Amino acid sequence: MSKHHIELEVNRQKVEAEVPARQILSDFLRDDLHLTGTKRGCETGTCGACSVLLDGQLVKSCLSLAVQAKGCQVRTVEGLAQGDQLHPIQESFMNCGGLQCGYCTPGFLMAACALLENNSRPSEEEIRSALSGNLCRCTGYTQIVESVQDAARKMHGY
Amino acid sequence: MRDFDFLQPNAISEASRMLADLGDECRVMAGGTALMLVMRQRMLNPSHIISVQDIPELRGINWDDTSGLRIGALSRHTDIAQSELVRQHHPMLAQMAAQVANPQVRNQGTIGGNLCYGDPSTDPPGALMALGAQVTLASARGERVLSMEDFLLDYFTTAITADELVVAVHVPPAADHTRARYTRFKRTAAEHRPLASVSAVAQVREGLCSQARLVVGASVAVPRRILLAEQFLEGRPLDADTIEQAAQLVAEGIDPISDLRGSAEYRREMVRISAKRTMESLIQEAPAKERS
Repeated sequence: MSKHHIELEVNRQKVEAEVPARQILSDFLRDDLHLTGTKRGCETGTCGACSVLLDGQLVKSCLSLAVQAKGCQVRTVEGLAQGDQLHPIQESFMNCGGLQCGYCTPGFLMAACALLENNSRPSEEEIRSALSGNLCRCTGYTQIVESVQDAARKMHGY
Repeated sequence: MRDFDFLQPNAISEASRMLADLGDECRVMAGGTALMLVMRQRMLNPSHIISVQDIPELRGINWDDTSGLRIGALSRHTDIAQSELVRQHHPMLAQMAAQVANPQVRNQGTIGGNLCYGDPSTDPPGALMALGAQVTLASARGERVLSMEDFLLDYFTTAITADELVVAVHVPPAADHTRARYTRFKRTAAEHRPLASVSAVAQVREGLCSQARLVVGASVAVPRRILLAEQFLEGRPLDADTIEQAAQLVAEGIDPISDLRGSAEYRREMVRISAKRTMESLIQEAPAKERS
């Protein structure tokens, strides 16, 4: 049916594409742009594995159409590291044991990123609230919360 | 998800004509969080989606001393939770919006979409009804304003007609001495949707309650005021005994949903407890804005 020309920025790079109206944003990122860090999990808006930043705001990309992202700035987990230099949040997840199988991790990293860019000293309660749209079924949440606390200290120097 | 055409009108009249022409084959998309789910489950297979994101009249949150808050239909739950105007004039609404679903959905879902979907298991409709909110609907034929009671008809059913859009929600200014509270109950901390909710708005003067509005949501097909409990509170002090009896009246006054998430009996009991907690919070905390 209808195809749409969209222009957007993905991880600070301009992208132009023709997308079918029904293409979901997570599928566009994975299948068309080959940014497979964004995961397809439940695909019903529950698990948060597909979380990305859209104009700086955390969203579930399985609940958005690609055409809705026209003109937006999208950040995915691939946009966190600078070359081989991991983002402090990624380092903290690694050092604090914030992941096991890693499937949910890109979503948690983006949720943590959205939080820490707006709140330099989040309380444990604020961290748990900011991560409440993301599910992890192996690590348990204690080490994920510790990872975010560690990243906050690194990013904001305390 | 089946194929569809994606239309992007930039005026209400244009959207309304599209809706009139396409009839039941099309659906309106605002944030899309609910519509995407039902389309992917093929519960709805529209041939056309009308995105209302480009219609400027649906945006913005404004305050007027006489008419109160105007919340544009495209305001996301996050916008409402963070709005200085909402926090100042109706803090209960901001506090409620900050609890809807989960952070991502609050950044995507809109108040207009939430109301039009008519899902009982959500927060905003009950809180808005307690605050005496009204909904403005518009089409190419003109505008009309409905109370929440007249807009919300039944389980997933509203009074919106085929060619109409929800443009905005209006919340009148609170009368002096008014306090408002919202309580939601979830069966587990991980749930994103309330199993029961109770909103209370009342004037509290020298310890006595008047003009109470008590609304139950989430456990009933459509949020509803419990008039018997409201009348019971009139002129009474909000002491433990009064609250206990009023909560009992609230619980007895509903026709609860019974489903996999909770039996009717369980929901009725959780409504009683939520009502009690809401009324207790009316007297426990100092309101964010106490007018004299």
